[in-house]
Amino acid sequence: MAGSETHGARAVRVTPEEVRRLCEFLYRRTGMLFNDNKRYYIDRRLIERIAATRSASFQAYFAILRSDVDHEIEHLINAFTVNETYFNREEHQLRCMTSVLLGNVIRRKPPGGAIRIWSVPCSTGEEPYSIAIWLMENWSHVDSYNIEIVGSDIDTRALKAAANGVYGERALMRLSRDVIHRYFRPVADGEYQIDPGLRDSIQFTRANLIDAQDMARYRDFDIVFCRNVLIYFDDASRRIAAENLYDCLGPGGYICLGHSETMSRISPLFRVCRFPDAIVYQRPEADHDGH
Amino acid sequence: MPFVKRDVIAPSKDGRPPDDNLASHVAALSSPDSETRWSAARALGGRADAVPALAAALAAEPVARVREAIMTALMRVGDEASVMALLPYLRSQDAALRGASIEALQALPEAILPFMTSLLADSDSDVRLLATELARNMSAADATRILCRLLEHERHPNVCAAAIDVLAEVGTREAVPALQSCAERFAGTPFLPFAASTAIARISDTER
Repeated sequence: MAGSETHGARAVRVTPEEVRRLCEFLYRRTGMLFNDNKRYYIDRRLIERIAATRSASFQAYFAILRSDVDHEIEHLINAFTVNETYFNREEHQLRCMTSVLLGNVIRRKPPGGAIRIWSVPCSTGEEPYSIAIWLMENWSHVDSYNIEIVGSDIDTRALKAAANGVYGERALMRLSRDVIHRYFRPVADGEYQIDPGLRDSIQFTRANLIDAQDMARYRDFDIVFCRNVLIYFDDASRRIAAENLYDCLGPGGYICLGHSETMSRISPLFRVCRFPDAIVYQRPEADHDGH
Repeated sequence: MPFVKRDVIAPSKDGRPPDDNLASHVAALSSPDSETRWSAARALGGRADAVPALAAALAAEPVARVREAIMTALMRVGDEASVMALLPYLRSQDAALRGASIEALQALPEAILPFMTSLLADSDSDVRLLATELARNMSAADATRILCRLLEHERHPNVCAAAIDVLAEVGTREAVPALQSCAERFAGTPFLPFAASTAIARISDTER
């Protein structure tokens, strides 16, 4: 049965073939895979976007989508993804960081050397603070190294909020009471602020992933968390961002993407590493001739 | 706290702004050090005056990631000369090079448009097949027109199948007659009529 929803005076309907066409586009463009068992979910979101763009038909909407008029690809992806950010989101990657990645990183470091971790885009700071708290709670070598954590975003309002470090209870839902007690203090009804020491430990900066000159300021990172941003870029921008990220990592450094993203669809520059907790991508330590 | 905060801004070693000198970057493309060649290719991205040097470097480059960077640099120029520098790699025996050139060219749908007629008439069926993929990012009208023209005379079933696959995603109702005709011509090759009927159903259902 085709889905429908009123749009002004008329109903916009989508057929199974239209949904398949959209799903194929979405898969090719973003790697997100939806099949028939998610039909209701897809129909709802597609019909919402058709209505939001005031398209008279699926065909009219699909033309807008393919041309990315008014960032429609971003709007559609947002409709299909959970945009909410909270502490310890994608905990498996944090576990992978402490169970495998950092062990490999410190093997290349002198005793007491610096470990550099970058969260980009960091939005309002949940991810870089999660990394810091996770390290304090779960990594036994945490006091043996100087650890630099940088959070960057293109949105300066988000960065301001990140530096302020105030969050509602919903953002803390994955943290235990003990952890909240140790790293936050209540500041208002249902709001908590990150411990000043921790807030002061993380540097927040503005960065644009597709601006090579801007990205040249960021070098020698050991681990980069770059989640759920590359799917928003077109093919050309993704290629440029991948090369920029490559330059930001030290040799052997790792990059963690969002769960619906794969670097192998974006760039052959990185090596795929399958670890028990997560799939991550590594900048090779040395070049090999392609011939 | 084990955390330290440092200035993330990596100043240039001598405090000067990044080198913008074409000649020095072009010279660096021939460096024996792959890191230097990579940096030079990245620095030359989008510079139309660097296209001849980038094209020459691409032909000689042995390291895969540097080739990638050179292709990205050419893609960022996106003019006729840069397209012409990328096109020969559609014939490469190296699958990675073919794939990289397709990706770079796909990002330039308008610049590649004038080359499509000759690509789709190429004597090498592999080139024609890869060229169908270049239509995927074009406007629906352009892609439909170009691929329908191909379907009218194309003799290789795999090339037709590739074109039908692209039409199933981006084609308009104008593609239906060419798809029907192709299905009839290849009636003895069952997968083609099946692919054509799927594309027709999709296009027709989408464009009521």
